[in-house]
Amino acid sequence: MDRRQIMQAAAAAAGLAATTGLRAQQAAAVLKPGKPFAGQTVNVLSVVAPQFSAHEAMLPEFERLTGIQVKYQYIPFASMREKLTAELVAKTDQYDVLSVMDVWGPSLYPMFEPLNARIADKGIDMAARYPNAHLRAARDGNGAGRNVLGFPLRGHVQLMFYRKDVFDRLGIKPPSTWDDMVEAGRKVQAGSDLSGVAMYYGKTGGQNLMIWINYLWGMGGDLLDAQGNPAFASPEGIAATQAYVDVLLKHKVAPAGSASFNETDAVNSVAQGKSAMVPVWWWRYAGLTDAKTSTLKPEQIGFAPLPSMPGKPATTYTNTWFYGINAHSKRKDATMEFLTWLSHPSVERAVLLDKTKNEVVAVQNSNLLDADVNARFGGMHRAGHEGLKGARGVPLFPQWPQMSDILEATMNEIATGQAQVKPALEAAASRARRALRG
Amino acid sequence: MKLLRRIPAPVWLLAPALLFVAAMALFPLGSALVLSFRQWRLTRSTEPGPFIGLENYVLLFTDDPEFLESLWATFVFVTSDVAATLAVALGAALLLRRAGRVNSLARVLLILPFVMSPALIGISFRFFLNPEFGIAQFLIGQVIPALEGKVWLADRTLAMAAVVASDLWHWAPYMTLVILGGLASIPAETEEAARVDGASEWAVFRDVTLPQLLPVLGIVLVLKTVFALKAFDTIFTLTNGGPGTSTQTLAYFVYHTAFNYYDMGYAAAAAWVLTALLLALSGFYLRLLFRKR
Repeated sequence: MDRRQIMQAAAAAAGLAATTGLRAQQAAAVLKPGKPFAGQTVNVLSVVAPQFSAHEAMLPEFERLTGIQVKYQYIPFASMREKLTAELVAKTDQYDVLSVMDVWGPSLYPMFEPLNARIADKGIDMAARYPNAHLRAARDGNGAGRNVLGFPLRGHVQLMFYRKDVFDRLGIKPPSTWDDMVEAGRKVQAGSDLSGVAMYYGKTGGQNLMIWINYLWGMGGDLLDAQGNPAFASPEGIAATQAYVDVLLKHKVAPAGSASFNETDAVNSVAQGKSAMVPVWWWRYAGLTDAKTSTLKPEQIGFAPLPSMPGKPATTYTNTWFYGINAHSKRKDATMEFLTWLSHPSVERAVLLDKTKNEVVAVQNSNLLDADVNARFGGMHRAGHEGLKGARGVPLFPQWPQMSDILEATMNEIATGQAQVKPALEAAASRARRALRG
Repeated sequence: MKLLRRIPAPVWLLAPALLFVAAMALFPLGSALVLSFRQWRLTRSTEPGPFIGLENYVLLFTDDPEFLESLWATFVFVTSDVAATLAVALGAALLLRRAGRVNSLARVLLILPFVMSPALIGISFRFFLNPEFGIAQFLIGQVIPALEGKVWLADRTLAMAAVVASDLWHWAPYMTLVILGGLASIPAETEEAARVDGASEWAVFRDVTLPQLLPVLGIVLVLKTVFALKAFDTIFTLTNGGPGTSTQTLAYFVYHTAFNYYDMGYAAAAAWVLTALLLALSGFYLRLLFRKR
């Protein structure tokens, strides 16, 4: 470590200490005075995410303020739904806090304690704090219900990340439509040894649907019609799907491996200098610029809103995780105290501004628009906030995981050349109809 | 008390083990069997629904092409995996049979793939076969030009081959050790006598070694078939059942029916089809084995 690095580390530590003091003051204001729950232990079942590890690192502050001990148990994303299902059936009070992804919510609502009265007691204005795209994930009634079941803590919008250095050298503008993306890909492939755009048509937890849905919405199609029947095999759906897979099959501006890539493979393709663009969740920025996982430097990566169809507004699919209280918990008051502290905007802000980390995820309006946060990440959060205004989450309904599974396999079959778009979508719609009846 | 005294000592001695097996295996099996006759969609209720008789089983075989595809994928996977494992393990065991430092070291190293987690093996093979960075992808392309640039996990046949290869890598070394044990138990005099009588090496193997090795090969066959039928982790991490549903075996089908579709009764019925298959195959192999003996 040279002298300059020592000075930087010292400055960062001093800044962190100052913000920690301020944060403690702000967060303490919403906690009950007199430590009424001291000595209780709150158990948290959380999915693995660096953001949640950062929260865990801040726990001594909460424990000092309240006397409540908090223990985290982390489950990898791939196993999280099974774990929650086991908890749903077993109905234990092993965990006081449960974390859930939006699309799983409707099938897991019975696990959660409605928080309306507790939130009102704390004086928290949820509608002012969170964009609706995130807040709906934590509401019952498939996102439109009266009850709030938790606090959104982790949420994403999609952005188009691109190789800024390559685009500048070749005089290419960031694409604003999907056709522009194909054209930019062609220019990249003609002027460099990179593939145009890393797409991901492989099978992993429905990841190959997350960009497709934007094509579908852009073409004016939708997953379900007004009666709740599958609508994705409509002419708009067929055209959208064709355009989506043509990036690889017809225009060949995606690496051949895209047919089996999942999201991580596609991000790695850009991070390892093989592809020039990737449309993906914003949290992937950390992996694209971190020296441990990427060959690229932050200044080589640019970002833009996700492309759209010509003349249509930009869309983004959102993804939200919320933390709620287990309906069977025996420590609900202490758990609410913990969630009140954890969801305080100052906690999210502290993680965003912690220079020892590269965590971009924010779900609260105040932090999305925060000047310091935007200065640190080049305006990414303001762009995210704009995107969230027009964002459409996937329809929330209990059978979504099943429908996602059917569509994921279908999309993979089409992209690997095993099936044609129209018959494959019609077959998927037929199976989805059966799933929706179940 | 008198009744208790009449129970013979061996039963008492076996009782803890029997109770343990009953609690850990028979109870879940019985519970799943009961569940397979009920309707239980977790999206509707956290409690099992009404009894519907054989409806789940009827639906599986008459109205679910995905299940039938899974049966076919299971057949392809199990037959190729078991055949490949048996051939590789037998070949390797014959090569490593002779004493020597290199062979001793190789035998020790053989245990390594077996102790690795199948999920990790699946992830590793995914990296090996990555079309942009994968070492296996590159080497295979160099040796077999027709496969250069092929995206393995996007091709039905190659994806199945990749799943078989990963399972083979995991299990063949262990099966080699089992067969080595069998080879060690064959009296050397029988083979030497055949050689003295002028038999060729192939004839010695075919007429003397192989017949004596058959009981061990039978055990390998039974074990590997059972392991292949319930293979899940590698498939989950390597292909996720894709491309499409082409590597979705029965075990994977059960998993995703239960945890993606939340259809617990239906998944239990599919699980019992798998269990019945396992029991039937094991019974058949064991009968064959003991008849030989």
